[in-house]
Order: sequence, then C-alpha cells, then structure tokens
Amino acid sequence: MTGRSMVRVALVIFVVVMVQQTVMIALRIGGAHPDLLWLLPITAALLDGPETGAIVGFWAGLAFDLVLPTPFGLSALVGCLLGFVTGSLTAAVDPRAAWLKPVAALAGSVAADMLFAVLGAILGQQQMVQIDFLAVCLVVGVSSVVLVLPVNRLMRWALAGENNRRSLVSADAGSRAW
Amino acid sequence: MARSRRSRRTLTVIILVVLSLSLISLDLNGRTHSVTSGVKSVANDVYAPLRQGTLDIISPIGDFFAGAFNYGSVQAQNEQLQQTIGQLRAAQAERGFEDNQLRQLMALQNLPFLQSLTTVTAQTIDEYSSNFTATITLDKGRADGVDVGYPVVGAGGLVGQVIQSFHHTSVVRLITDGQSKVGVTFGPGNEYTGIVDGQGPSSSMTADLVPPHTPLYKGEVMFTSSLDAAAFPPGIPVASVRSFHTPAGASQETIEVDPEADLGQLAYLDVVQWVPPT
Repeated sequence: MTGRSMVRVALVIFVVVMVQQTVMIALRIGGAHPDLLWLLPITAALLDGPETGAIVGFWAGLAFDLVLPTPFGLSALVGCLLGFVTGSLTAAVDPRAAWLKPVAALAGSVAADMLFAVLGAILGQQQMVQIDFLAVCLVVGVSSVVLVLPVNRLMRWALAGENNRRSLVSADAGSRAW
Repeated sequence: MARSRRSRRTLTVIILVVLSLSLISLDLNGRTHSVTSGVKSVANDVYAPLRQGTLDIISPIGDFFAGAFNYGSVQAQNEQLQQTIGQLRAAQAERGFEDNQLRQLMALQNLPFLQSLTTVTAQTIDEYSSNFTATITLDKGRADGVDVGYPVVGAGGLVGQVIQSFHHTSVVRLITDGQSKVGVTFGPGNEYTGIVDGQGPSSSMTADLVPPHTPLYKGEVMFTSSLDAAAFPPGIPVASVRSFHTPAGASQETIEVDPEADLGQLAYLDVVQWVPPT
C-alpha cells in the first residue's frame, strides 16, 4: 500500500468506527447489532488480495479494540486472519461475479464472529460464548450482506492509490493484479 | 517472482498475527495490563468527544424520522408519563413513612445504610457496544471519581461493576454478563449465602452454591453479602428468585433469578464510591 492509500484507509476505518459506535449499536435486533468491522478486511481482500486484507483487518481490528471492552488485540487478530483467508479463498474466483461480495460478506462475518467468540473464550472470557449465537449470526450476516456494497465503495476509494489503481480499475474489468 | 510475492505475503501475515498475540498477552498479563489500559484510556479520551459530536449531528435527524413515523406511540407515551407523574406524586406523600420503616428494618438487620456511601450520578452513553459482552459505558470516569471495581446501582438494585475507567468515561459490566459473579445473602435472617452468576444478556441469571433444599420462595430478594473480601457493599438488592428446585442427587439447588434493577432503564445510574475493606 502507498502512503496515500494508508491515509485513506485510516480515514475509512475512522468513519466506520464512528458509524458502528453511533448508528449500528443502536440498531439492536434480538439482542444483537450489525458489525461493520469485518466488512473492512473482507472488502480490502476482495479488492486487493490477501496481504492488503490482512493489513487492513489488523489496523481496523486494532481501532475497534480501542473502544471495545473485549481483550485488546483480539479484533486485530481475527481481522487479520479474516482478510488473509478471504483474499486467499477468493483468489481464483471471477471478481465480476455478482454473488461474490454478498457471499464473502455473509460467510466471512459469521465465521469471524464465531472465531472471535471462541478465541475470547479460550483467552478466559467465557461470557463471549454465552450469547445467542443464532441471533448474532443472523443479524451480523444479513446486515453484512446489505452493507457490503457501501463499505466496498469506501474501500475502493481508499485503496485507489498509484500502485493499486491498475488492479482496482481492472477489477471492474474482470482482472486482478495479484 | 510469484513465489517471492507469496512468501512476502505469508511473512506479513505471520508478523501481524504475532503482533496481535503480543498485544493480547500484554493486555491479559496483570503486570503489563496498565500499558494497554493506558493506550485505551488515551484513545477513549480522544474518541468520546468525537463520538458525542457525531451523535449530536445524527440524533436530530434520527429523532425527526422516529417522531414522524411513531407520532401515535409518542402521544400514547406522553399520556402514560402524565399518569405516572400523578402516581408518583401520590406515592411521594407516603414515602416519608416508608423511609422510616426502611431505616428501622435495615438497622434491625445490621445493614449499613447505602445512603451513607458517596455516589456519583452518571449518564449511560453506550449500551452493549459489543455483541459478546453485556457492558455499558458511562459519561463519568477517573476525573469524576469513578474507579475500577466500584459498584453501580440503578432503580431497584445492583446494575454492575466498573471494569474500565478512563479520564471522562468508564465501562460497566452488567450483572447479566457471563463474567459477573456477585456474592449474595438471603433468608429471614440473611443466614443463607450464594453467588448470583450472569449467564449472558440473553439468558437467565442463576444463583449457585446454594445447598440442596434451602428454603426459598418465588420473588425472594437476594442482597449483596457482607462477607469478608466481598466486592460489593452489603445490603444492595441484586436479584429475586424466579424458580427453584433440587434435582435428585444434586449438590446444590438449581435457582433461576431475575435482576432486581430494571436493566431496560439504564439512562442514569449511581456509581458507589466504595472499595472493599483491606
């Protein structure tokens, strides 16, 4: 990532943290609220590959860790792994496929939530698995499908640096630089 | 070329994972926790006013639409509030007598007055910021006299305990959170003890370590205990019994309890400036 992209990604992370902590946490359905955090590494990985996905996931997770009561570093770890795995698994998929973003958002968000809870429990936070998983997965999964397009648009703008522009523009045209 | 790119990518991920694990171990280690807690504190001091500013911009828009869509229910709510005010006025007249009775009862049970403890009134600015914890954020922090470990009470009883305290905000773990454990006493002379365990926000709380066939009744209120090293001052209502039974051969009674405090109304709370006696 170029310096310019980094600044833009930081700005997008900041905006998403603010939207999450002001708007999303107020939208509670069945005791759960949408979680925008996981969409950042997912969209970054779809746009620019597993390495960028992991880097964006790490920094986005770290930013969320600053304001969440869960162990510091846990969101960063899950975000980093999510970005890497999403990028690696979708490397061979045609990026023009209409189903790619919604499916990646749904599967990635649900898997990340589960991993987050299980790792938290392993780290001694037993309460993290004492939740209504069905409600959390449903709310987070469905909301991720709905919100993946606007977040993807933000991430596309953020990653449109000098070095990445070719890959991003060409992603629309059906090819990837990685 | 592709191979070197792949190994660079793998190296990047390994570094990030190691970095994340290092941060987690720093946070969970008692000796180095102050480092991550300090970073979080600074971040929260910067974040809190930004968040408030964003809310100030967003709230009127949200209120406008909420008001437009829910005009009927707002009117009904207003009428209900008027009725409640009338009832409260009537109740106020009787309160003096009840206060005297309460003082006498508490003195009889050797419970110290909660009123003698100093409290800080705080407003809730965030509820359930994570799907995985039952926590709320208050608008008072260290600068206002709110510190880690302080009990938090609301209408009806104990709400939770401060687990993180920043300069001007603090995080409270609710008693329904899976990590919450509160030592309680109950019974006619407060002779029975147990532990009220949170089971997560969507599950009923339980009272554990109560011997089999301990006499109980539905609605019986459990109070914070006055045992040594208790994390709460004695005499705060914690929960009331919803159901109980002793399964055959069990080593303890199975008790489900409901929080005494109304956890649906957490707008304003009192933080009790109390530290366990050493």
